[in-house]
Amino acid sequence: MHNLYSTVSSVLSPASPYAADIGRLFWITLWISLVILVGVSAFVIFNLVRYRDRGQGGLPPQTHGNMVVEVTWTAIPLAILVVLFVLTLQTMAAVSPATHPKADPVNVDVVAHQWWWEFRYPGAKVVTANELHIPVGKSIHIQLTSADVIHDFWVPELGRKMDAVPGHPNTMVIQADRPGVYLGACAEYCGAGHAWMRIRVVAQTEADYRVWLASQAQPHPEPKTALQANGKALFVGLTCSSCHTVTGSGAPASKDVGPDLTHLADRQTLAAGVVPNTPEELKKWLADPHSIKPGANMPNLQLSSQQLDALVAYLEAQP
Amino acid sequence: MRQESIAPHALPFPPLNKGWGWLAWFSTTDHKKIGILYMVTSLFFFGVGGIEALLIRIQLAAPNSRVLTPQEYDAVFTMHGTTMIFLVVMPLFIGVANYLVPLMIGARDVAFPRLNALGYWVFVLGGIVIYLALFTGSLADAGWFSYAPLSEAAYSSRPGVDYWIVGLIETGVGTIGAAVNLLATIVRYRAPGMTWRRMPLFVWMMMITSLIILYALTPLNAGLIMLLGDRILHMHFFRANVSGGSAILWQHIFWFFGHPEVYIMALPAFGMMSEVVPVFSRKPIFGYTFVAGSGIAIGLLSFAVWVHHMFAVGLSTPMNAVFSAASMLIAVPTGVKIFNWSTTMFQGRLRLDTPLLFAAAFIIQFVIGGITGVMFAAVPIDWQLTDSYFVVAHFHYVLFGGSMFGLWAGIYYWYPKITGRLMDERLGRWHFWLAVIGFNMTFFVQHILGLIGMPRRVYTYPNLPGYALLNMISTIGAFILAAAVLLFLWNLVVSFRRGKIAGDNPWDAWTLEWATTSPPPEHNFEKLPPVRSARPLFDLNHPELADHARHTREAKA
Amino acid sequence: MTTANTTANTGTNMNRHKVGMLFFISSEIFFFLTLLSSYAYLSGAFGNLPRQSLAVPRTFVFSLFLFSSSLTIWFAERAFHRGKHATFRGWMLATIGLGLVFLTGQAIEYTELIRTGITLNYDVFSSAFFTLTGFHGLHVVTGLIMLGSLTGLSFAGKLGPQNESAVATIAYYWHFVDAVWVAVFTVAYLIFI
Repeated sequence: MHNLYSTVSSVLSPASPYAADIGRLFWITLWISLVILVGVSAFVIFNLVRYRDRGQGGLPPQTHGNMVVEVTWTAIPLAILVVLFVLTLQTMAAVSPATHPKADPVNVDVVAHQWWWEFRYPGAKVVTANELHIPVGKSIHIQLTSADVIHDFWVPELGRKMDAVPGHPNTMVIQADRPGVYLGACAEYCGAGHAWMRIRVVAQTEADYRVWLASQAQPHPEPKTALQANGKALFVGLTCSSCHTVTGSGAPASKDVGPDLTHLADRQTLAAGVVPNTPEELKKWLADPHSIKPGANMPNLQLSSQQLDALVAYLEAQP
Repeated sequence: MRQESIAPHALPFPPLNKGWGWLAWFSTTDHKKIGILYMVTSLFFFGVGGIEALLIRIQLAAPNSRVLTPQEYDAVFTMHGTTMIFLVVMPLFIGVANYLVPLMIGARDVAFPRLNALGYWVFVLGGIVIYLALFTGSLADAGWFSYAPLSEAAYSSRPGVDYWIVGLIETGVGTIGAAVNLLATIVRYRAPGMTWRRMPLFVWMMMITSLIILYALTPLNAGLIMLLGDRILHMHFFRANVSGGSAILWQHIFWFFGHPEVYIMALPAFGMMSEVVPVFSRKPIFGYTFVAGSGIAIGLLSFAVWVHHMFAVGLSTPMNAVFSAASMLIAVPTGVKIFNWSTTMFQGRLRLDTPLLFAAAFIIQFVIGGITGVMFAAVPIDWQLTDSYFVVAHFHYVLFGGSMFGLWAGIYYWYPKITGRLMDERLGRWHFWLAVIGFNMTFFVQHILGLIGMPRRVYTYPNLPGYALLNMISTIGAFILAAAVLLFLWNLVVSFRRGKIAGDNPWDAWTLEWATTSPPPEHNFEKLPPVRSARPLFDLNHPELADHARHTREAKA
Repeated sequence: MTTANTTANTGTNMNRHKVGMLFFISSEIFFFLTLLSSYAYLSGAFGNLPRQSLAVPRTFVFSLFLFSSSLTIWFAERAFHRGKHATFRGWMLATIGLGLVFLTGQAIEYTELIRTGITLNYDVFSSAFFTLTGFHGLHVVTGLIMLGSLTGLSFAGKLGPQNESAVATIAYYWHFVDAVWVAVFTVAYLIFI
């Protein structure tokens, strides 16, 4: 039983030139800030100790102010902030898609839903959900929008966050330096399922990525057993296909009310990161979605145990 | 000529246990009683908001927790923010200002006493209406800034948000009334001789705060009306994707209010700091003109920074850059104040009583909050850390570690004037240390949680490395802080009955409120001392060092 | 109710009313600025609807009635200061009449819009238009009520020189309502049309 969340996903452990640029700005700002904080705190504590009333009576010198001092401590912070502002502008440019070479970027359309992520690779005609595969070392240009309320795409190690705003498509860029699994989350409160709208980015070598992309472009594996065939029939016949798409299932039209389930077996988690993707967990999910992800839009279809087994067998089918 | 010393005695506090006594509180137009009503009501809501905070921390103590459902949690954090901002901090400052501003300027009441009473009762009505939603089974749960389209009827179909909107419009109206009142009072009713430069800094800050209220609350009301129109009358202002409305427009309107709002919550605390630190250092504020002037700068700039709440929305680079610059700029006048307070303490003769302890903690904690604020002004840092626990830490450091600690300094300082009795010093120290430990334990670790990827407003979280430990520390801190608050409330009650009699001026302070009895009579003053500087009582008690003769003395020297 | 201070005030008692009203008006300006800028912000989604459905020349004529009411109330104030209360009442009635004509024009505009199906919640344009002009209209109604109260008190012989600040502050409010209409008309009928 592997732990889905065993790795830290920190702003300060960048795995991307973009995250690294932002991290650098953060450290510079932090060091300057610490100097100021330590200075002010030390001054305050020093005053409290050194000028404590020791019962000597009388009044201390009634100093009203000092113009030179006032000008100094206005001018110096202003100068520091000017420097910080220049660094800010530079970093903004460095992490924005417009300033990056367009040579061979990977384009991904991301549509945020309550409470799952739709990932479309327009060139390859691949549609998947919640788990984003990318090749290492390439700029990933993300077109980000929302199907309902405002969400936010945030994978700290790979770059900035960006809101997915309905009616206002956004563009952002991420990149992974090395293969691995990078964790993120929706970072804009979007309703009951906000906490479990997690993002899993799998960065692969170019070769592995191509293999993955090609296999995703294939239709869902055809049933090899009677149980799987039964599951396929249920998927089409029950209301599943009115919200979900499984390419090759024979259902009439593709739907994106719920996540695309084609090649579900290839994914590490279910329900946008709540539980690991195992047949046992999928069966529990189908039996009672809200026991796993309270507030999810998926209704409880009151399926029988045999129906559950059949659906699980079909959805988790491997080629 | 020394002021005649009056033997300390407690004037009877308005009687609460007589028939007409209670009625007097309901029908009063006296600014002192109204101020107390505001303060007591706010403290009640402070308890409510505090319980909501504890519920949040209980739910977040461990990963994958199921103490609260997500819907319950979402309502709790929405109500926590709404309550603390609109029903606690704002009315508490308005209440203190109501009580003190007329006294500090030597006036007998505010300019419009009946409007004052109306404002209070409308505020109470608004608070009730917001919570009335409980009876519909659905408290507002779209967050305290209620972003569209989540707050639209399609995604928040239950009536909680409607009650929230109406209640906030009501409290907003009350607040605007209070601001008009304070401004008219300060403009027209200062004692003879009290020029602008001789006005207490708390009055300066309340004046600027009142101006901010006038120009921030009406846009909020406009936005709330538009949102209510969308929800109930099916209008199309913020319904993106559907009919040409704009989700981003809501954010612009809300934050045009929302950013000045945080200065509405900070400037009065700055004013309290500017009164407490000098008195307990036994020397005047360092740089009076700069403290007043920086307040004006902050007031103006506060309307020029709102987009920094929207850096991740995807607005244009010039927009982001301009508002980044303005947001960094506003740190300068704030820093000026911090330096002036700290330097006031330098070479003073410091009385380490509870008010000064809270003031000192304010300085350090507010600087921490200010630092992270400047970080957020640097757009790319915001692009990583906005909407994470790093920002939750930031705003609690400025609002609680800053404003609330400043309020505590002010309350310990002015409680004797209001009630005639001093608060207990020993309880005060216990309160102070528990608060410092509890507050920092709760919120410091949240900086780290944000840095390691924890988003805000999540009802639970996976068992990522570090999350469980840090969240548990934060929860334990919250309970320590709750103990501090309970101790404070207890101190309020017990000192009222058994506190040491204060007399007119227990702190040897210098502003006009200390030139009358504690508590003051209905008409505030029997006789006012002459006002020839910012420290009239200091001039009276130390004529050889009087502020108003300073330049003459220096010329002779 | 008394606000007498223990020592001489820094200003007369009456001036607090003017000060208060001016601060209040400044705050209401921001309310309308929000509605106006929202109207401008959303105008991209209005399409041709404003040009097709708003009657610019007719509304301009009705606006002239409102603008001239600022003149008549100025005459009313002058008469009041000179103690000519009958003249005052006449000009006040004129002001109220002009305001009512303006509101009638608004009602006609609204009726026509609604008849063509452009109701309050028809689309973004209608939402913004009715809200912007509607809140202005509400402020006009409030102003008319205050004007009516003053005029009625004067007829009842209960308005005298000691009420100078009441007349002045209500006049401020009326001029403000007028000025807001200048902005609303410019934005909704001239710029984003």
